[in-house]
Amino acid sequence: MSDASNADAVVIDRTFDAPIDLVWRAWTEAEQFQAWYGPTGATISVATMDVVVGGRRHMSMAMDTPNGPMEMWFVGEYLEIVEHERLVYTESMSDAEGNVLSAAEMGMPEGHPTVTEVTVALENLGGKTRVVLTHAGIPADSPGAMGWNMALDKLADHLQGA
Amino acid sequence: MSSATAEDQLSLTFSALANPTRRAILARLARGSAGVNELAEPFDLSLPAISRHIRVLERAGLVVQSRQAQYRPCRLDPRPLDAVSAWTDGCREAWEAAFDRLDDHLRDLQANPKEEDDE
Repeated sequence: MSDASNADAVVIDRTFDAPIDLVWRAWTEAEQFQAWYGPTGATISVATMDVVVGGRRHMSMAMDTPNGPMEMWFVGEYLEIVEHERLVYTESMSDAEGNVLSAAEMGMPEGHPTVTEVTVALENLGGKTRVVLTHAGIPADSPGAMGWNMALDKLADHLQGA
Repeated sequence: MSSATAEDQLSLTFSALANPTRRAILARLARGSAGVNELAEPFDLSLPAISRHIRVLERAGLVVQSRQAQYRPCRLDPRPLDAVSAWTDGCREAWEAAFDRLDDHLRDLQANPKEEDDE
């Protein structure tokens, strides 16, 4: 159903000086993933990382902020897994039990949680590995809304020019 | 918690933008204020349907409709779009930093293949 390459919120294209198997494991093994993932200064603790289609991912991100320590939880699902080629998963904010935090639970009368979708495309460059990462915001209540980010970019450009 | 509220405003903005008619309305308003009739013109939709779209945009804070008695022009408020680009910028920054660490991590693994769990 998804074609995240047409809904580019954030696209990062980077080549790593490592064989493709190592890079794949860095994304799909919990111990490896938590060694590098997350914003600077954050500590990632993977609770669940079931790398099968429909499998669950659930992890916490702890960091010190000026207001004291803060811990956030994220939950998601693996949508596509092609070893050494392609990994697609969703991500939402959640509580420690992995329940998605919805707008209603936050006391909002209207609105919906934003589910984001991460696509990791790997390419074997013979000892090196190219990674094209796409992280797109997807409104949970809007199937078929793919591609809105591009339109949004155009709109933002238009507004800046106005 | 203020960050939760901010996050939720972002969700409202995303939802509001996830519709081609509403994006077209915003694009029209970027050229200047307009009344509901004028906004409805390019679309094969009833006035109530257009009004519903405008209400969604209003709830997302993207459109402000003035409350003058007869003519009630809508105007664009681009501030929620800044929140969207802030999210995108923050997301990109976090990934770039994580990829720097991934780079180091992969280097360490290859330098010390047997001690991969130590780092």
